[in-house]
Amino acid sequence: MARRPDTDPVIELRGVEKHYTMGEFTVKALQGINLKIHPGDYISILGPSGGGKSTMLNILGCLDQPTIGEYFLSGSDVSRLSDDDLSKVRGKELGFIFQSYNLIQQLTVVENIEVPLYYQGVSEKESREIATDLATKVGLGTRLDHRPNELSGGQQQRVAIARSLSCDPAVILADEATGNLDSKSGGDILRIFDELNAEGKTLIMITHDEAMAERTSRVIRLKDGEIAFDTYDQPD
Amino acid sequence: MKLIDFINGASFYRLKRAVILGVKSLWMHKLRSLLTAMGIVFGVCSVIAMLAIGEGASYEAQQQIKDLGSQNVILESVKPTNNTTAGEQERSLILEYGLTFHDIAQIQATVPGVEITVPSREVKDFLWNRSNSVDGVVVGTVSWYPAMRNREVTRGRFFNELEMASSAPVCVLTQSLARQLFPLEEPIGRTVRMRTSYFRVIGVIENDPAVAAAEESLEGSTQSSGEGMEMMVPLSTLKDHFGDVLFKYRSGSFEAVKVELHEVTVRIAKPEQVKPAAFAIQHILERNHKDVDYKMIVPLDLLQRAERTKQIFNIVLGSIAAISLLVGGIGIMNIMLATVTERTREIGIRRALGARKRDIVSQFLIETVMLSGAGGLLGVLLGIAIPVVITHFAEMKTVIEFWAPAMAFSISVMTGVLFGIYPAFRAADMNPVEALRHE
Repeated sequence: MARRPDTDPVIELRGVEKHYTMGEFTVKALQGINLKIHPGDYISILGPSGGGKSTMLNILGCLDQPTIGEYFLSGSDVSRLSDDDLSKVRGKELGFIFQSYNLIQQLTVVENIEVPLYYQGVSEKESREIATDLATKVGLGTRLDHRPNELSGGQQQRVAIARSLSCDPAVILADEATGNLDSKSGGDILRIFDELNAEGKTLIMITHDEAMAERTSRVIRLKDGEIAFDTYDQPD
Repeated sequence: MKLIDFINGASFYRLKRAVILGVKSLWMHKLRSLLTAMGIVFGVCSVIAMLAIGEGASYEAQQQIKDLGSQNVILESVKPTNNTTAGEQERSLILEYGLTFHDIAQIQATVPGVEITVPSREVKDFLWNRSNSVDGVVVGTVSWYPAMRNREVTRGRFFNELEMASSAPVCVLTQSLARQLFPLEEPIGRTVRMRTSYFRVIGVIENDPAVAAAEESLEGSTQSSGEGMEMMVPLSTLKDHFGDVLFKYRSGSFEAVKVELHEVTVRIAKPEQVKPAAFAIQHILERNHKDVDYKMIVPLDLLQRAERTKQIFNIVLGSIAAISLLVGGIGIMNIMLATVTERTREIGIRRALGARKRDIVSQFLIETVMLSGAGGLLGVLLGIAIPVVITHFAEMKTVIEFWAPAMAFSISVMTGVLFGIYPAFRAADMNPVEALRHE
């Protein structure tokens, strides 16, 4: 079993709960979550539908804020930030990879990769360089000016990976990244993830695929809004 | 999300990128963008075209009035239509009516600000150059007539005060009369006969602008009425040759008419005195003339009336413009709301990738403004082209004042801002989580 690293956590959740009010009832989508994620972690978060995976992703991704509890990202509390500051944190500290790629259709490959850089205010010239390098890194150096609809699913997901890396984020969040892909393209994507983790990137994958969980060094299982299993918490 | 935050966050670099992005997004749906902008295109184009036509028409009208002299009050003798005193006149056999020298003397003596008066008197009969004759009018007037009525002496000269004093038999012909009487010869130095009197031609004067305008619209009918066929002679010359009472022997009937003056132009010294002076003159004439045998024309009044008409026209046009731009704006807003819904996913993606609300607002607002601005630009081009085409084919005068396209364009841009704000803020206020989940 993997051992908890001895470094300061990049993400720390303290007593995080998320409640949804549905009419008269309050649904607790997450409750009592205490979680530390360290730099270089390669995590898969698993769980049945309704177990709180999506809520977890939204909170980790700063797309939503916890009802109770604190969320420290790179050492600072982001659980009570303003909307503008949250936007900045999302763009700078986090990289998103989605099941359905979520590329912007009217932009080319290189322009899609540039989107997070644009919102961070990086100059045109610099962002073009970064985007071109990243596109080359994921093997799309020859398709810079193609539109998403001219690419295969696997290629689109590689563009999404390049995009998630463009601001050099602290954590990459992948939501069912291989869910829409055939096993070969999915395998390619997973190999890229392995390489990124080997380079020291922190990756969090939300998945229901047990096979994928086996690739990652740490597995977290959610059930009924609580952490039911965490590799690091297991006795050796 | 406040508008002011959005303005503060804007920078040139971001603006440039946002414009490029807007072009790309609009270009993805070329037909839709074109159709959306059409409302603005036609609104702007129709306003500019209508303004140009209206300006042209009122410009011509005002020019005609200005030619009469805005500081003038023109009095004309009119044969009374009312026959209450007809019995007396029948007995005396002489029809006596119109303005008199007595009127002029009174006006000059009592109305403040009266500078010069130009009396004139007319005799209608055939004018002859050898065997060539024209049904025309001899106008007896004074030497300062051309200056007062803004009529240019095109050839030769007008008669002077010496010739007035000596009742010299000299005459000045209007252009159309000169053309009729002397189609092939140089008229100056020749003689024109009327009845038994001969007059030497010393100059040619341009036609009365009002008559010229009438001639233009009724081509070929220049000769019918004798209008514009004027021969001008000194007032004293006219009296010497034709006397006080004018006899008309026409189509078998006999008529004796005594009119001292047919027309008097009163020049007022200062423009602001014109109205009170006209009022005073009206009073004098009302007292001196029982029958309304005169007509008063105040060009300044006409000018002001024309300007008021133009103002009303402009207000109507403005309302049409406002309505059409409102309709265009609503069309744009409708499409932008649909676009925002359609692009919910994109908004979610952008929000996840670090876009603040103000970035989303600026993106959609810029898109809307570009749509309406492009529509406005197209409308301006069409709106300028249409009057040019009309002038060319319909030979109608059109005047495009530079502010009309500029204003129409800026209003169309403002329409974009106004009707873009709501969709843009609606896009920005979407919940990123829900927007990302949107299919």
